[in-house]
Amino acid sequence: MNEQSKVKINQLPTGVPGLDEILGGGLPEFSFNIIAGSPGCGKTTLAHQFIFANATVERPALYFTVLGEPAMKMLRYQQQFTFFDASKLNNAVRFVNLSQNLIEHGLQGVLEEISKQVEAANPSIVVVDSFRTVLRSEMHNGKDMAVQTFVQQLALLLTSWEATTFLIGEYSESEVRDNPVFTVADGLFWLFQQVDRNSVVRKMQVMKLRGQASVPGLHTFRITEAGLQAFSRTLGLLGQRKTFTRVKRLSMGIPALDKMMGGGVPEGDSLLIAGSSGTGKSLMATQFLAAGIRAGEPGIAAVFEERPNEYTARATEFGLDLQTPLAEGSLEVIYLRPLDLSVDEMMQEILDAVKRTGAKRLVIDSLAGFEMALAPAFRADFRESLYRMIFALTAIGITILSTLEMPESFTELSFSSYSISFLTDDIIRMRYVEIDGQLSQIMMVVKMRRGAHSREIRQYKITTDGIVIGERLKGYVDLITGIPQPLSVLRSEEL
Amino acid sequence: MMRSADNPTTRELAQRLLAYEEVETTPATTDAHAVSRVCDKLRRPLTTLAGAAGFRSLLARALTLAKQESPVLGAWEVKSDGSLRGLNGEAAQSGAVLIAHLIGLMITFIGEALTLRLLHDVWLDLPSSEINFGRNQSK
Repeated sequence: MNEQSKVKINQLPTGVPGLDEILGGGLPEFSFNIIAGSPGCGKTTLAHQFIFANATVERPALYFTVLGEPAMKMLRYQQQFTFFDASKLNNAVRFVNLSQNLIEHGLQGVLEEISKQVEAANPSIVVVDSFRTVLRSEMHNGKDMAVQTFVQQLALLLTSWEATTFLIGEYSESEVRDNPVFTVADGLFWLFQQVDRNSVVRKMQVMKLRGQASVPGLHTFRITEAGLQAFSRTLGLLGQRKTFTRVKRLSMGIPALDKMMGGGVPEGDSLLIAGSSGTGKSLMATQFLAAGIRAGEPGIAAVFEERPNEYTARATEFGLDLQTPLAEGSLEVIYLRPLDLSVDEMMQEILDAVKRTGAKRLVIDSLAGFEMALAPAFRADFRESLYRMIFALTAIGITILSTLEMPESFTELSFSSYSISFLTDDIIRMRYVEIDGQLSQIMMVVKMRRGAHSREIRQYKITTDGIVIGERLKGYVDLITGIPQPLSVLRSEEL
Repeated sequence: MMRSADNPTTRELAQRLLAYEEVETTPATTDAHAVSRVCDKLRRPLTTLAGAAGFRSLLARALTLAKQESPVLGAWEVKSDGSLRGLNGEAAQSGAVLIAHLIGLMITFIGEALTLRLLHDVWLDLPSSEINFGRNQSK
């Protein structure tokens, strides 16, 4: 069938930030949908967001309540959300109580009343909340056929009347199979609420959506005073990979280090700075941001261990002015420490900041802090989530510098306790060594995916001007173990 | 506990609704009929929001509160269908107390803004802009 003869399915905005993207653009108009999930997972709020975003006086939303939460209580709580528009009540958004119809006349009575109301109001949206309660009494009586007929008649009626429909129900996943409701539905949205240790994680899944490609998998969402906000697993960034015709090198703000890296970090790379506490990882990250600001490249710092004012104040101690770009908007410091974050939320924050600032550089300081800020349920997927995040952000041309605190071992040199080196294009390792009875610091460029780099192990110092890299340490072996041996001693032993 | 029904504006609103309905009734049974008519007109929006049983419960609760304040309403009852029984002329003068408590319960549950909106949908002449409960309305 050619493009012209295909029916065009309009997509309606859901009113839920992030959800349109997950659905593949919006909710198909005139679709017959089910919102399922356990109590308290946000089903009613989702439906309300949709109706307040779409209902008009000419094409109102009819909200049928049945035996569940009465509309009066629903309104009491739902009006606390910022999307709730009291001026739409009773004209664009109309509530109808069907409890009595169900009690007195059963499914047929409910269907007749819905038909009557739909024909009278010409609604664009119909919600039945809770649909489960409508069916439950009949199902208990073993009237499966009656239920199936009812569902099919209802779907036919509402689609004929050009209404986009939501049936809300407290279903468990085991009920999906062999249930006529799910067979008839065009869209099936499942909301989950999981408790893991002390945190609650909310996730949603589009189990079925006819007519368009939705993003598969579980997507996290949050309920705030603004209602639901969904975070797509991909945040719509897959397939957008930016290609660079010529590899531009970004300065690290430390000339000697740029030289070691073959001219700086390649644009769009993910760079990992690994080292133990106090080795200057955060300082290097700050110098990287400051160098970007000087070069007209806005930046973002996602910090987990310092507050934004502490972060900029510390930069000032090293002669780096981050206050001015912060005030001017070319720098944003994102401070997140809620302990129940998802990586997707973090990425959304970063993407919003990228849109605001036009950022080219991103610092994540540190990965350990980031992991701690996540809800325990998300920590298990940290590596996979980090991979998605880094892939998505570098795909749009952001150069990412992440810091990683490493436990200092004096027998070996490890690069990452997370085994995430495969996630990064470039790795710089900083560490302490004992030389002549003194604690010194050394650094090396361990990996540069897109070019040659120095193999030298260089001593460095942290000064009031930032990191100052010294010469290559000669005359020692086993430097990377942290306990080097002077070559002269080894040679005398050999003799 | 300060109830919404105790607010002078709620009382005034109740009186105003009764006044609207008194115009429609005969002088002999004016007060009692006006109370019934106000309750009947509120039945539809409240049944929509709370169901028939919910409306009956709200009216029964409002009557209980009203009786505490005005014992002359002692003979009044809410029937199972949600209508009022036992209204007499003398007590009907206290009918505004019942209406005020019913409005007060609506305010408690859905807030002042939505309550006024529902009342205005029933009594189109009700000048909602003139009604100010004197508190910050969150919604």
